[in-house]
Amino acid sequence: MSTKAEYTSSDSASSYPLLFLLVSGVSWLVLAGALGLLAALQLHNPAFFAHCPVFTYGRTTVMAETSFVYGWLANAGLALALFVMGRLAGEPLRAQNWVIGGTLFWNLGVTGAVIGVAVGDATGYDLLGLPKYVQLVLFASYSAIAVSGLLAWAGRLRQVSFASHWYAAAALFLFPWLLSIVHVMLFASPARGVVQPIIAGWYAQSAWTLWLAPLALSVAYYVVPKVTGRVMPSYEFASLGFWTLIFVGGLTGGRHLLGGPVPAWIPSLAVVSCALLLFHTMVVFLNLRGAFTANGAAVKFISFGLLAYVVGAVVDALTSFHGIALHTQFTLFDVAQRQLALYAAASMILIGGVYFAVPRITGKAWFSGTLVTLHLALTAGAIVVLIGSLVLASVTQSQELLDKNIPLGDIASHMHVWLAFAAAAQAVLLLGNGLFLLNFYLTACRILNISAPAWFNEQPAAEGTTP
Amino acid sequence: MKSNFAFFIGLFGALLISWAGIVLGSNAQLGSLAPYYDDTDQTTYPTWMAGNAARGQLVYKDLGCAACHTQQVRRPGFGSDQDRGWGDRQSVARDYIYQPFPQLGSQRLGPDLANLGDRKPTAPDADDLLHLLYAGSGGMPSYHFLFEKREIGAGAQPSQAALNLTGSLKPEAGWEIVPTPRAEALVSYLVNLKNPYTYPEAAPFAPPKPEGEAAKPAAPAAAPGAAPAPPAAGGNAPSPSPTPAAKPAEGIAPSPSPTPAASSTAGGTPSPSPTPAAQGGSPAPSPAAAAASPTPSPTEAKK
Repeated sequence: MSTKAEYTSSDSASSYPLLFLLVSGVSWLVLAGALGLLAALQLHNPAFFAHCPVFTYGRTTVMAETSFVYGWLANAGLALALFVMGRLAGEPLRAQNWVIGGTLFWNLGVTGAVIGVAVGDATGYDLLGLPKYVQLVLFASYSAIAVSGLLAWAGRLRQVSFASHWYAAAALFLFPWLLSIVHVMLFASPARGVVQPIIAGWYAQSAWTLWLAPLALSVAYYVVPKVTGRVMPSYEFASLGFWTLIFVGGLTGGRHLLGGPVPAWIPSLAVVSCALLLFHTMVVFLNLRGAFTANGAAVKFISFGLLAYVVGAVVDALTSFHGIALHTQFTLFDVAQRQLALYAAASMILIGGVYFAVPRITGKAWFSGTLVTLHLALTAGAIVVLIGSLVLASVTQSQELLDKNIPLGDIASHMHVWLAFAAAAQAVLLLGNGLFLLNFYLTACRILNISAPAWFNEQPAAEGTTP
Repeated sequence: MKSNFAFFIGLFGALLISWAGIVLGSNAQLGSLAPYYDDTDQTTYPTWMAGNAARGQLVYKDLGCAACHTQQVRRPGFGSDQDRGWGDRQSVARDYIYQPFPQLGSQRLGPDLANLGDRKPTAPDADDLLHLLYAGSGGMPSYHFLFEKREIGAGAQPSQAALNLTGSLKPEAGWEIVPTPRAEALVSYLVNLKNPYTYPEAAPFAPPKPEGEAAKPAAPAAAPGAAPAPPAAGGNAPSPSPTPAAKPAEGIAPSPSPTPAASSTAGGTPSPSPTPAAQGGSPAPSPAAAAASPTPSPTEAKK
């Protein structure tokens, strides 16, 4: 299959809305990297920027997470989900104005959320750094964008659907429900007492298992068979794996509440669900294992992400057990796990997807293949260092937290070295993603200069574009 | 997957199940948890936060203090929480019913604050906390923006609220450091973080005694409203508890009725005497009892 044949009129017809989403996403990625670096420096040296009320550690972490999840992952994930949906439908995306309008308001909403957190409207919940007033904007704009994808699903030319379809449809359809539920039960008419943290924990887990992970998996299920050019092995299990994730995934959030002032059935349910979810992980691994031997930068990003996804699921299952949670709970191990899921798994798969999709959307190769390779090397290395150093820091932290004679202030200073590594890794990530933005910008310039559709072979294809 | 309809019904059903199970389930269990009336004290617990403290919780939330501090004490044997003096008992759901924004937190870069105002032997007072916020210590940075540096007018008295600072922190002569209203509210909230009352469901878990002591009767329920007896009460004795209040499974469900009279009868109120069923063996665990001791006693004893 040649890349030339892959650039179709239905892709070029939907290029503007998708590029709008992608440009926003990559810009948020760089901004999130800068905020993440600031947060990492503050974790290393708490006095850094502490005199500035806008940048207390408690606010910078939330700002970094919000811009990463709702800025980068959401924009890029939506773009790629629509790309996959449109491709599988076999015709240009419909309702493109809805996508453009939705993207505009989505990004205004995320900007409002980040500014809101900076001035003190944080909600105090993990993965939900969205002040009350932006939630409805985000709900409406996400729904508007999703309309296009769901129309593509409903109007597909062939009756059959594929795994990448299911995951994309699930992500498009379920997130507005999630957000509306959490808006009503936490903000419009808040539940009482510890029910609030339980709802927030349920949301954080569902946002991962029903929204971000499906977005990433949809990309992986689309790109990997395209690149390897082979039928997916054990594909007959894919639908079972999908439904396992959808039904069981939302129940696994309670593991974070182990030992807390909540009913014991919540963490117990999480242990069982985490173990069940390993079936889904196994199916994903079996289906997509071709990625690990394939060549090309796009699929290298994706195989890194898939590996992190599998490792992350196993670690989640292990840490849901009482005896292991005793050591990992409330330590930086939680942070490392979250980075493993959001950064190493979801983000890497989406970056791979962007490298795969942009040439096919625009008909133009990436500006520089060297920058792509450099991006891959920097990001992959930095993520390994980041997660490794957080885990090593958490080993010290966990042992010393259990020893009642060591004051908390000392524990922080004993982790100092590892936290310096984590901050350095964040700096490298920022650099790598800056190169990504640069390459994206240069490619976009090339697209805008030439208005007539051009074929791939005019330029030597960058490494990321060759399947 | 050829049917669009079935596919989306499936998606919707999956979300509905986890929402109904976890969110509605826990809301049904804990959403109407009643305060606990103590006959002896003639008071209900938990108490409402004093005026300024409720505003302080907003400051706590908006500065993101929960990024480093939890507010949940775990039971003995699960972490060093109580050994560190963070609380005498584990936190239970009832502690939070009056908090508009419970800040359980998920990181312990700093100490747990659930019971900060009631630490033993000495809890920090407002002045200590203001000093800590201004000066910082260890891993905690100083938050100067919560304070105002202002000139003492000629012939004027220094402010009552001014911090008593020494050493390098001391401002130059004629100037003083005064907490802003936000700092006052935050500190008022922090000193009000206390869980002085031990609810029945928060009674410390008592490992079963060796055979010889097992026959010791459970704590008499002479004063049903009073705080339950200390852990030595032999709560898990296999012999049936003689307390008249022992109506395990349903009886432990917290009564929504806040009337004082209800708590002195065996009816629907939690029995303060730790009966075997209430302490973990209950087939239909109440939220509180389940949180109190999720693991059955034999495993606990082996550790």
